[in-house]
Amino acid sequence: MSEIKSMEHATLKVPYEVINKKFRVAQKSVDREVDQIQNYSKEVEKALMHRPVISDVSKLVGNVVQRLQVLKRKSDEAIGDELNASFICKRKLEHLKEIVQRDSNTSEEVWQASIDQWKRVRMDRMVIEHLLRMGYYETAERLANYSDIRHLTNLDIFHTSREVEEDLAAHKTTKCILWCLDNKSKLRKINSNIEFDLRVQEFVELIRKNQRTEAVVHARKYFPAFEKTQIKEICECMALLAYQPDTTIEPYRSLFDINRWNNLVLKFRNENYRLFQLSAQSLLSIAVQAGLSSLKTPHCYSFNCKNLNCPVCQEDFNRIAKTLPYSHCVQSRLICRITGLPLNEHNLPMMLPNGQIFGQLAIPEITKENGTVLCPITNTKFTNPKIEKVFVM
Amino acid sequence: MTSNTPAAELEAITAVEKELDRVINKFSEIRENAAAEINDVASLLEELLQVLARAEQEMTGTINTGTQVDADDHMTDEAEMLVEMEPSTPRLTDSQISIITEALQKTNEKLQRLSSEHRELHGAVSKVGKVIDRNFISDFTATTRTDALQDEENIMLLNKVMAKHYCRQGMDDVAQLLIKESKMPEDMAREVFESERSFAEIFRIWKAIQQHDLSLALEWTSRYSNELIAKNSTLEFKLHRLAFLQIISKGISAQAEAIAYARNNFHKFIDRFEQEIPNLMGCFIYLPTGIENSPYKHLISPEMWTEASYIFLKDACHTLGISKNSALSVVINAGCTALPALLNIKQVMQSRQVLNIWSGRDELPIEIDLDPEYRYHSIFACPILRQQTTEDNPPKKLTCGHVISNDALHKLSNGHILKCPYCPVEQNAEEAVRIYF
Ligand SMILES: [Zn+2]
Ligand SMILES: [Zn+2]
Repeated sequence: MSEIKSMEHATLKVPYEVINKKFRVAQKSVDREVDQIQNYSKEVEKALMHRPVISDVSKLVGNVVQRLQVLKRKSDEAIGDELNASFICKRKLEHLKEIVQRDSNTSEEVWQASIDQWKRVRMDRMVIEHLLRMGYYETAERLANYSDIRHLTNLDIFHTSREVEEDLAAHKTTKCILWCLDNKSKLRKINSNIEFDLRVQEFVELIRKNQRTEAVVHARKYFPAFEKTQIKEICECMALLAYQPDTTIEPYRSLFDINRWNNLVLKFRNENYRLFQLSAQSLLSIAVQAGLSSLKTPHCYSFNCKNLNCPVCQEDFNRIAKTLPYSHCVQSRLICRITGLPLNEHNLPMMLPNGQIFGQLAIPEITKENGTVLCPITNTKFTNPKIEKVFVM
Repeated sequence: MTSNTPAAELEAITAVEKELDRVINKFSEIRENAAAEINDVASLLEELLQVLARAEQEMTGTINTGTQVDADDHMTDEAEMLVEMEPSTPRLTDSQISIITEALQKTNEKLQRLSSEHRELHGAVSKVGKVIDRNFISDFTATTRTDALQDEENIMLLNKVMAKHYCRQGMDDVAQLLIKESKMPEDMAREVFESERSFAEIFRIWKAIQQHDLSLALEWTSRYSNELIAKNSTLEFKLHRLAFLQIISKGISAQAEAIAYARNNFHKFIDRFEQEIPNLMGCFIYLPTGIENSPYKHLISPEMWTEASYIFLKDACHTLGISKNSALSVVINAGCTALPALLNIKQVMQSRQVLNIWSGRDELPIEIDLDPEYRYHSIFACPILRQQTTEDNPPKKLTCGHVISNDALHKLSNGHILKCPYCPVEQNAEEAVRIYF
């Protein structure tokens, strides 16, 4: 196996980003509680300054003790979350490790079996990742459960994304806005303007409902934050105040277009992947294209040379592979089309009078008792033909 | 460039593991530490509260008795005046105040330390991310010349291929869901279920073996016993061996059952497995102490089930004449072999300032070393031009029998005269014939 370094980045990076996030959440939660406790203890200190009554001080100190219990519970919870996220990452790492380290006691056959098994799991993992990217959540879910590999997928991580997408599909921005706030600093780092797009959509919807005053209030509240980068869009937006939703004038028609919601779903999905630093294409689609290219030969596209076992010769892949490059080959690799056996010194290539080449071992199969030979490719009959040896270097 | 040898792969994994373990240790440490520290300050403050409560009680007590005793005395001291005026509100003494202040200070210090200790973990956490980025590749740009899967129609075709794959494995509900969620056109969806179904049973049995259930597999092999023997398959024996070991693992109480199983099932394998069967019978010696503690412990390791399921899949597909891999899995596995090589060549070319590895090519930049079982077509590479032949540049057989490409033939001939580069035969270039592999 030599495919881990090239293909498993996301397997580890996505759960790592979750650890990182849990870390930040934990820090925030601890700091917030510590601040609270400090506020309460300041109150005690304030009380202490003026010859305080014991029972008052006891009450205030009691408050501090109570907050300490809250801190204890919250920090334990938050660090527990950090640990769980780390263990999820660790489990994936263990799965990768399984296949790079061969126990010297395992027999060749057992090792082959383990590799075969691991590759099947990898394929399901890749398919699930692709399905998630396409938004086919239910299929991904079912497949993960069926193949019992949920712990090796990112299904749980993308559970929130599903909720956000469903919310957007129902023409609601609430969950997506929450997601934006939740990931504010990271989104800024990747220069995402999805929050602006959402605010624009909210503005458009207010106008669609003819709540123009509310729209102005909305604009005043949210648009100034984006003045520096989106001033042109903001102006276009504001101009909407003067148009009706059924306008045919661009760019206002497009702004009113209900399809913008679908684009928001796609945009959200895309930004979410960027947040996790995942590549723009799914690993599956990259692997499928690389695979098709390495299998693709000119035979796959010539009318009578197809081999039905060849994936590229099969209709669906044949169409997908149409624009992809062919495999590269500097060494001839010849296979007899009748027996499927390699053509070499044990099975010399022989030429029929029509130029078709078959292995020596296949000639008896196509020769009848009376000496006629039938070419299985062109269906031509030859009577006692001259069959010549061919030399391939 | 580090090549992707198993050692390099293990190194990459170990590097991440090391950092991740460090983070896990630190989290566990700080979790314990935080609980202990918080408990510490909490109990300190609770103790203080008890002291205060006691002081309060005592003071109210003394004040009450005090008022009785000193009732006739003149009280000029301001403090005593206050006490007299508010007999039920005892106040803190200066030393009590300083004890409380100190305790609060200690609390705050400890909590600040806790917060900054957690903050310091940031370095260790982000190190994990850096090590992942350093050891694993995330940039796949330029591994494909054009992205054929941007195209809506091709995306749907890929959905169809995926649905077919799961349908082939008998996972019809996965295929159905995919058709539904992807809104696949009806005619396409119909084709999904028209594909070959004989693999589904094989796949179901394969899964059952992995769940340590041999009944379906044994039933299937007895159905195809003759075909399997003709192919010299070890499958049937291996399944019976596992079944036998499954019985014997139950311990001494299963001895009679195991002997009966061996007598009923092993007789037909005696010739072919004359070494293995005595080994299996040797297990009976260790029955009282358990096979897991015997020299035969490897026979009951979990890998034996993986192996049996694998052999079943291989031999059963071979027997039925179907492929053990679907079109999708062949393509993906080929892709997984190709990707490391493509990423490698990309890096090499970029280091030589070649920006686009695809410039003008209709071929992959390198040869991908695929499994022989993934070779479906003859490929003839012209030995002169080191290039695959095509419709435009087909292979030609010279009169001497040597084969070269049409382009090479033109390059090598002088007018009509061609001297074969492999044998000294001089010949007429026009007598070379087009051949088909
Ligand atoms: Zn083909
Ligand atoms: Zn020659």
